[in-house]
Amino acid sequence: MPETSISMEEKEIKLADLYLAKTLWPFIRPYAFLLGLTTLLVFIVTFFELLMPILTQKAFDGFILPVGPEKGAHLFGFEIISFSSFCILFSAVVLVSFVIDFFQSLLMEYTGQTIILNLRCRLFSHMAFLPVAFYDKNSSGRLVSRVAGDIENMNEMFTNVLIFIFRDLFLMIGVLVILFSINIKLALYLTAMVPVIAISITVFSKILRKAFRTIRQKLSEINHSFSEAVTGIKIIQTTSSRDRFMEKFKFLNFEYFSASLFQIRIFSIFMPFIGFMGVLSVAIILWTGSFNVMDKSLTLGELVAFLSYMKLFFRPLRDLSETFNLLQNALASAERIINVFKQDKAKQRALVLRERIDKISHLSLDKVNFSYSEDKPVLKNISFHLPPNRSIGLVGRTGSGKSSIINLITGFYEPGSGTIAFNDIDQKSINIEDIRKRTALVMQDPVLFSGTIRENITPSGLDMDPARLEKALYDANCDFLFEKFSGLDTKIEEEGRPLSSGEKQLVCIARAFAFDPDLIIFDEATSYMDSNSEQKVHDAMKKLMKGRLSIIIAHRLSTVRDCDSILLLRDGSIREQGSHHELVELKGEYYHLLEKEKI
Amino acid sequence: MVIVDATQLIVPQIIKQAVDTLDKGSFDSDILFFQCGYILFLGLVMAVLRYGWRNLLMGSARDLENGIRDEIFNHILTLDMAYYNRTKTGDIMAHATSDINHVRMAFGFGLIAIVDTLLLGGATLGIMIWTHPSLTALAMIPMPFLVMTTRNLGKKMHTLHKTAQESFSKLTELVRESFFGIRIIKVYNFESIIMNKIEKASKDYFNKNLKRAFVNALLKPLLILFFNLSTLIILFYGGFLVMQEALTPGELVAFLQYLGILAWPVIAIGWMTNLFQRGLASLNRINTLLDSRPEVASPAHPAVLSDLSGRITFKDVSFAYGKDNPVLSDIMLAVEPGMSIGITGPPGSGKTSLVQLIPRLYNTISGKIFLDGHELESLDLNFLRQHIAFMPQESFLFSSTIRDNILMGRSVNEERLDRIIDACCLKETLEKMPEGLDTVVGERGVTLSGGQKQRIALARTLVNEKPIVILDDPVSQVDTHTAAKLIAAIHQMNAGSSFIIISHRISALASCDRIYILKNGRVDHFGSHQELIETSRFYGESFKVQQFEEEKNA
Repeated sequence: MPETSISMEEKEIKLADLYLAKTLWPFIRPYAFLLGLTTLLVFIVTFFELLMPILTQKAFDGFILPVGPEKGAHLFGFEIISFSSFCILFSAVVLVSFVIDFFQSLLMEYTGQTIILNLRCRLFSHMAFLPVAFYDKNSSGRLVSRVAGDIENMNEMFTNVLIFIFRDLFLMIGVLVILFSINIKLALYLTAMVPVIAISITVFSKILRKAFRTIRQKLSEINHSFSEAVTGIKIIQTTSSRDRFMEKFKFLNFEYFSASLFQIRIFSIFMPFIGFMGVLSVAIILWTGSFNVMDKSLTLGELVAFLSYMKLFFRPLRDLSETFNLLQNALASAERIINVFKQDKAKQRALVLRERIDKISHLSLDKVNFSYSEDKPVLKNISFHLPPNRSIGLVGRTGSGKSSIINLITGFYEPGSGTIAFNDIDQKSINIEDIRKRTALVMQDPVLFSGTIRENITPSGLDMDPARLEKALYDANCDFLFEKFSGLDTKIEEEGRPLSSGEKQLVCIARAFAFDPDLIIFDEATSYMDSNSEQKVHDAMKKLMKGRLSIIIAHRLSTVRDCDSILLLRDGSIREQGSHHELVELKGEYYHLLEKEKI
Repeated sequence: MVIVDATQLIVPQIIKQAVDTLDKGSFDSDILFFQCGYILFLGLVMAVLRYGWRNLLMGSARDLENGIRDEIFNHILTLDMAYYNRTKTGDIMAHATSDINHVRMAFGFGLIAIVDTLLLGGATLGIMIWTHPSLTALAMIPMPFLVMTTRNLGKKMHTLHKTAQESFSKLTELVRESFFGIRIIKVYNFESIIMNKIEKASKDYFNKNLKRAFVNALLKPLLILFFNLSTLIILFYGGFLVMQEALTPGELVAFLQYLGILAWPVIAIGWMTNLFQRGLASLNRINTLLDSRPEVASPAHPAVLSDLSGRITFKDVSFAYGKDNPVLSDIMLAVEPGMSIGITGPPGSGKTSLVQLIPRLYNTISGKIFLDGHELESLDLNFLRQHIAFMPQESFLFSSTIRDNILMGRSVNEERLDRIIDACCLKETLEKMPEGLDTVVGERGVTLSGGQKQRIALARTLVNEKPIVILDDPVSQVDTHTAAKLIAAIHQMNAGSSFIIISHRISALASCDRIYILKNGRVDHFGSHQELIETSRFYGESFKVQQFEEEKNA
């Protein structure tokens, strides 16, 4: 199985850093002030951090091993004579730095979380408006991992990474400046190492990013395996194919393992490398510095300070490379998120010419052609008219194009050529929301959301007066809902539990009834029902269809026989069209199907 | 790692010597050269060893992760339906990803931190005490406070982490179901409602995260504060000692250097607390999952049977998914080998629940089911399921090829496969597929219609001949004509098997030897097609309706 499973994997997503930065910027901009403030606080914290060794040095040179005959230290122009007041000053610095450090950390977390919150909501609202075709192409499990996992991963970027990169860079520059002020010659030796380090960081980060891309992608595959195993558990257990699934999973898990080992290996070369650079410079400075101390061009305190500052120079460098690891990880996630943002939203058609529709009174399709992919036409030259208050039935084998017609009418997809018109207005110049607002759809697979049955029928926000709701349910012959479980307040769990498949479908139909649409579409909505329930629903449908347009897709001819007009589709074309009696008279395909349906 | 820590401790000693030499004014470039060379050598050794242990530790952490994930996957495949009804998919997925991740972090970085803290911290402390006990003791004054605060904060973090994780779980589930039902959301214009819901869930997660962040933000600065206090003490008390010449300046410098080394273990403590709290919380969750034993399991000493003839007997069987709401009550049912049984009834009457008891997807609440006279629970689970061909109501396809979906890893000769494809009316469908049997379907492949999915699922059920065949509503999504063909072919292919079919189509049931009608979890009526037309109002009416349609059609 390995070959096929590899070919089915999600593609690795790769984007240029500059492009990433440009696309992410609009999400960061509103919080630029907060980020700026945080960075400022970071600088202050860093300043205090740098102050420590200076104070230590002053303590050495001023009090412990006085250079001159007089004790005392100069600090920002102030003269501190007594050792004890120096102690108090030092303690104050420590306390203040604690307070600022705390506020900085808090502000940073707050800013990061706010950006993430905003990004998540924006991403989801963007996704909610993506065309249905996008969802047909991508599995829901993998899309979830974008909104949940990948965004979570980026959190690191806004909190730790971004700010700390600033801080570490600032710290290193600050340390360099101080080093230069202590002794230019020694500092120059140190600067010679910078290009070496810079080059190695670039090389390592490239390899790391690549490793993280593979890791994120494999992880999403693992997620997919889990969700598939959970959904298909009944089949796995009843066909005794557990071992096979386990084997496949082990293989995938091992790939993930190897990818992460590779990342570890790269990183474990990188870190000690930076560490070694640190030791190397200590040796160099100690060597040259000692000569300088001997010829009195450097005080001993200065050499000690120089050595401790050098530690400060290499620590951020090590942090920086650790953060780089996180950054590469976050950027790999950012690439995946931005890829979603790059998807165009469903087109807002003809913004200028848009006409308002308050009520759909009639509908027509004229020479409509359509295909999902270039080479395979799904609908060929479909034309029909649905006059006011009439119903139309679509019949035909599975795959004959019935559902595709619905996909076009509801605007999920756009026709390749031909026009779809509502009230004689081209669909292209109508806001699709106007049409959908007046349309109800009941699908073959009942879709219920978590929440109560009531919330599923009238979602919060569309508050409905209880008497009207009750009437809608009675009209829909769904009154059994009042007695079972906890009535309308029954909580719906995952996969619609505790309702049975048939009951789920009835709830979906009740939702359509409560919606009071102008156009109602039943897409094989009664397939899970027994004849009695189906009869009930059909009675209700007839009631509801009065004064409305309706389209009914069915595989059982009996479902559509009362429709004003019936279209028989085959291979994407209309073969026969007319009322039940006309088609029977015709003695064509419809008649044959009818004959076969009788056993 | 021990060596790395040791070498790390030697470097300040050398610097100390160098500084002390300089302080004395004596200078020997050879000694200095030797000292610098020594430092370099140690640096190289450290680098090599660090590479080694990083690789080793993190590698084994990944190895651990790999193992746990395999085990979880393996375990969830054995769990019973009752467990899945209690647990959300998102939650199980969270176990396999974020929880494992936390455990790995605790064992990878966490172990490094522990070893580093203990070795480096301990050794450093040792040297410090050896250099100057009283100075060390004074420097350690803030330490007990440090330990206490980290422990308290750690506990808080643990609970905050748990609530945040739960909130995240909810958010994930909400997003998942929204994407799943995207068509309904769009047609009914629920976009804004669902967006509000997501926003609310995100905000909740945000708030819980902020609480966690607050504790987090407190931890690091606090640790640094305690550490700085130690530095203060050393500097001033040490400075005082140097002034009194009780301590050499080199020793003081080295002391400060050691304290600098201590900084890492101290910060690591905070880090570790966080990592370990998260890791432990997650490990607990994983263990709970792994400890959950399926209620449905093979007995220790299963009855040894060579084959099954297919006699099924239900004796006073009752069943419920939860505590209340009985789904089946006192079911009596008998299937002789080779007999065909039809089951019908209104939605929610317990049809699906009833047939799911036979392959033991659930256990009964009371009453017994016998297979060939043996109690179901006395049989080996694998043996049982290998002798039953079961088709669940929802036709689920895995994202793989159609061939894989039908065979599910079982082998069958091409001739039989062709026959099955023929019987399931899949031939025409497959010819239209870009790659025939090897077309990838499911979540990331070609989108199939409900009828096509149902027929593939049916083909999957029929791969091998089994003494018992159970089909749960196998023709609900195909047109009447195809349904009739399917039913006839299924009967033909399973001539000798005991056969149970659930359907709402009287035409699919009519040929069964006996038909059961369920109502509110009880057998309302049973008998042959002819008998039931007379005795059962439900059956009679259904038949009339369907008959009437046919007559009207004629």
